[in-house]
Amino acid sequence: MKQASSRLGEPAALITPGLIFLVLAFFFPALNMLSLSVIGPAADGGGFTLEHYAKFFTDDYYAGVALRTFRLSIIITVTCVLIGFPLALIMSRSPGWVRSVLIMLVILPLMTSVVIRTFGWLVILGPGGLISWVLETAGLVGNQISLMHTESGIVIAMVQVLLPFQVLTVLGSLNRVGPELEEASRVMGAGFFQTIRLVSLPLSIPGIVSGSLLVFALSISSFITPSLVGGVRLPVMAGSIYQQVTGSFDWGFAAALSVLLLGATLVLVIPYLFVSRSGRR
Amino acid sequence: MVGGVPYGVKLLSVVLVAAIAIFMLVPLMVVIGSSVSASEFLVFPPRGLSLRWYGEVLQSDAYLSAAKTSVQLALVTVVVSVAIGTSAAIALTMFRFPGGSFLSALFLSPLILPSLIFAIGLLMVFSAYADGPSFTGLVVGHVVITLPYVIRTVSAALADMDPHLDEASRMMGASWWQRYLLVILPQCRTGMAAGAFFVFNISFDDAVVALFMRAPDVETLPMRIYSSLEFSPDPSVAAVSTIMIGITIVLVLVLNRVFGLARIM
Repeated sequence: MKQASSRLGEPAALITPGLIFLVLAFFFPALNMLSLSVIGPAADGGGFTLEHYAKFFTDDYYAGVALRTFRLSIIITVTCVLIGFPLALIMSRSPGWVRSVLIMLVILPLMTSVVIRTFGWLVILGPGGLISWVLETAGLVGNQISLMHTESGIVIAMVQVLLPFQVLTVLGSLNRVGPELEEASRVMGAGFFQTIRLVSLPLSIPGIVSGSLLVFALSISSFITPSLVGGVRLPVMAGSIYQQVTGSFDWGFAAALSVLLLGATLVLVIPYLFVSRSGRR
Repeated sequence: MVGGVPYGVKLLSVVLVAAIAIFMLVPLMVVIGSSVSASEFLVFPPRGLSLRWYGEVLQSDAYLSAAKTSVQLALVTVVVSVAIGTSAAIALTMFRFPGGSFLSALFLSPLILPSLIFAIGLLMVFSAYADGPSFTGLVVGHVVITLPYVIRTVSAALADMDPHLDEASRMMGASWWQRYLLVILPQCRTGMAAGAFFVFNISFDDAVVALFMRAPDVETLPMRIYSSLEFSPDPSVAAVSTIMIGITIVLVLVLNRVFGLARIM
């Protein structure tokens, strides 16, 4: 397929515009942010300082925000794994048209703006919303209830937003394996659950791992859904950064928070790249 | 599966799939349902049936100018992203050169780095080295987050290409522009089109980059929806959102019809 071209001019000319663009618009901003996070206020001369990081590690408020972000992301990821694996398994072993319908079911919400999906959840979770109405009509609760400004509300909405990433990643790894090994296992006398446990599950581990790393990374940095559902009472990392940038204008601190979030993401993304690459072989 | 799936498991699968289907679709349904409500407030179940909120949206200057901005932004992003992405994808798929796989990973990296962090970095750069966030800044941000999609779809299209075609045209003495215009680019066409649909959809729907790169005179539809959700949403937000859901459905159906969603996701 690839030409072992002795002339490097042609690919170089083709790739240069994109490379220059990425360096200027993607890598330079990242480095710039890194440097802003260790530079003090201009009033103090703007020298090297670790005060922004110190502020994060010494202020109980931010420790609470980071802890909440981490805890919610773990719950969201585990829920996505538990729902995502059976759904992906059913999808990959269904007849063609069922699979197409199910893929549509996953992709249509994924392609809809996160703002709109979150809006839907506000109407469902809020006072006088769908859940409240259903429970009230069923006589289970006397008054209107609301899951707005609760961690459960954030988890419910976030799982809906992120589940497609989990399902599509696991589906990819299941499709690469194919149903033949499962059939062989059944022919040799293994039962249905035995086959799932000893064949399908182990074979989809790379997909489950890379899917959940992706979901976790997206979850710790997600902004729209936690901000609108959780509101100011339940700030997460991304919301605090937005607050620093647009409200307090403390950009050095915002940069430090972003660098910490980026660090946490990279710790997850590097194994993700490793797992998803080895799964493809 | 040989030996069949136990009846109970089949039943359980159907129940599970139905429950997930409801869970995935109910937020969209609720938005669509609220948009035809006759009442002043967003309540469930909607009271009365009316299209008045669509009328209000179509007469609202704020929504119309936001819609215009969103469409302009998405179209400019499509042109820039598809142009840069296609040429990079041709280089990465058709040629072997030192550092090729490293460059591939580099071009796909915006896909896995959270757009939030990237958006803040971009905002800081535009504030320090340009006149602050602007329409151009938004285009730059959207091109970065959409570039990997173009590279993926065009590379997938090129992977199906017969490698001897380009070689043959070379040997028959085609000049470089003949090769590109008559051989290579026609092979990229489906990939470019699929990429363009993705880019349009992502740029049209994005709120994260848009909220951070917020310029005083530039407001897109998702930004407008976000700010009204922060305060007091009325059913006109639902009407706008329903129109946007409609656009997404059309894009997804076209993508599926022309390219097959299972193949490109």
